[in-house]
Amino acid sequence: MKSESKIDPRILEEILKFSRNVIDAPKLVSAPDEISMEVTPHDIVQEIDKTRLLHYRSLTEKQHKTPLLISYALINRYHILDIQPEKSWVRNLLLQGFDIYMLDWGSPTSMDKYLDFDDYVNGYLDSSVEFIKNESSSEKISLQGYCTGATIATAYITLHPESVKNYVATAPVIDGWRDTTVISNLAKHMDVDKMVEIVGNMPPEFMYYCFSVLKPFEQGIEKYVNFFKNIDNKKFVDSFLRVEKWLGDTPPIPGELFKQWIKDIYQDNLLIQNKMFVGGSHIDLKKITMPIFTQVAVGDHLVSPECSMPLHYAVGSEDKTLRMYPTGHVGMIASSLSQTKVLPELGKWLAERS
Amino acid sequence: MSSKPQALASVGPMRAFASNAKKISTELIEINESLIGFNQFVTEYYKQLAETWNVAQKKVNLKVPDVPHDVEQIDSFKRIWIDIFDNDFTELFDSVKFGENYGKLVSKELELTKHWNNISNVILQSANLPSKEEIDEVYKELHSLKKRVTKLEIELKKVNKK
Repeated sequence: MKSESKIDPRILEEILKFSRNVIDAPKLVSAPDEISMEVTPHDIVQEIDKTRLLHYRSLTEKQHKTPLLISYALINRYHILDIQPEKSWVRNLLLQGFDIYMLDWGSPTSMDKYLDFDDYVNGYLDSSVEFIKNESSSEKISLQGYCTGATIATAYITLHPESVKNYVATAPVIDGWRDTTVISNLAKHMDVDKMVEIVGNMPPEFMYYCFSVLKPFEQGIEKYVNFFKNIDNKKFVDSFLRVEKWLGDTPPIPGELFKQWIKDIYQDNLLIQNKMFVGGSHIDLKKITMPIFTQVAVGDHLVSPECSMPLHYAVGSEDKTLRMYPTGHVGMIASSLSQTKVLPELGKWLAERS
Repeated sequence: MSSKPQALASVGPMRAFASNAKKISTELIEINESLIGFNQFVTEYYKQLAETWNVAQKKVNLKVPDVPHDVEQIDSFKRIWIDIFDNDFTELFDSVKFGENYGKLVSKELELTKHWNNISNVILQSANLPSKEEIDEVYKELHSLKKRVTKLEIELKKVNKK
């Protein structure tokens, strides 16, 4: 008796098509070096050490009076906020008539290992704010912090509330004990003193490891299967490669800053308890009294909503708004949802106060 | 080395060579001790991964018979496999037992790096080059000087404004 295996010919066709795509990929895909990450035209208006202050060129005739400074995260580079024209956070805000500045923290080297929270908050961020105030002749600016950049921005506005008119906290890292992500679990068990003493700066390899344990099979398999399936779709491939290039560009974090970061936020959770000090000054969240807009992503697996939301309840502001979006950490800032929902809501809120 | 006959016998570069060789040997012995600890935690690390993999695979095997035999069966199977594996591994990475072991593993890895740094320092010093600690001192001093200059510049701006 003959046994007959029945395989649907459409399945075979799919397998053959996928194999062809894998073979054709090198001909269809650009090398990472060929992709420029600078999308929206800008000028570098200030450079201090390795940091750069970017001023984006206006895309509208009329602009809102108050400029907006974006304090990007310490992990990876600011390019994700301007990853491609149709998903660009920066471009969208420019088209809504905002005057946008971005603080690029640069790539610290071994000699920057002693840079600490004080240098970032009262040094680089404060210098940028002062520069923008002078250049725009504004007494106050609007400040947006994203992820770890929001922690730095939060510390800044408690110490310099006179300079900030509006505060936008996007996925801010605030309450380390409530954070339910894998990152916080690793951070809580880390001997950060030893790491900084021996290695100096937080090495990018450590960050790559942290990324690799976040949804490892979705990110490590499914993502690439989809890439090969869509190899003929130029738009998809371009978007994929840009995000991949951004993911691979992880600068080290200065040792002293990293040490205080892990201890004060994840291990001792001092910020939300109003027990944190930066450069000898007390960080009291109740001192935040300006309008504040907190944006949280429900599916955020890097900074869980439970870690971000406490900021909304801890500040002294009367004019405060909390918005939750059905997306992830990156989806909130660089996706079609961010263009159609997150940014219009933010733009409306900011315009009414700028 | 202070007595005259000893000093006479160990004068010159050979004296430094002997002392450096001793330092490097000590570091190599200590590396072995750290390596034993490292192996213990790395074994536990892979044990946890392997156990989680086995449990997840069993869950997938139980679900496989429910996958309909149609054109989408490969995609359906892949979805089930990825969902179960991601859930189980995230649960592992979120657990205290993983966090603790991973923390100890990294700590041992850092100890190994420290021994390597110490050996490098001996070699650097034998070549009359500054050690890592000495370079760190320079970095620290630079950082402190930059801070002082920035503060002075701010003060100067305030005075000029008045």
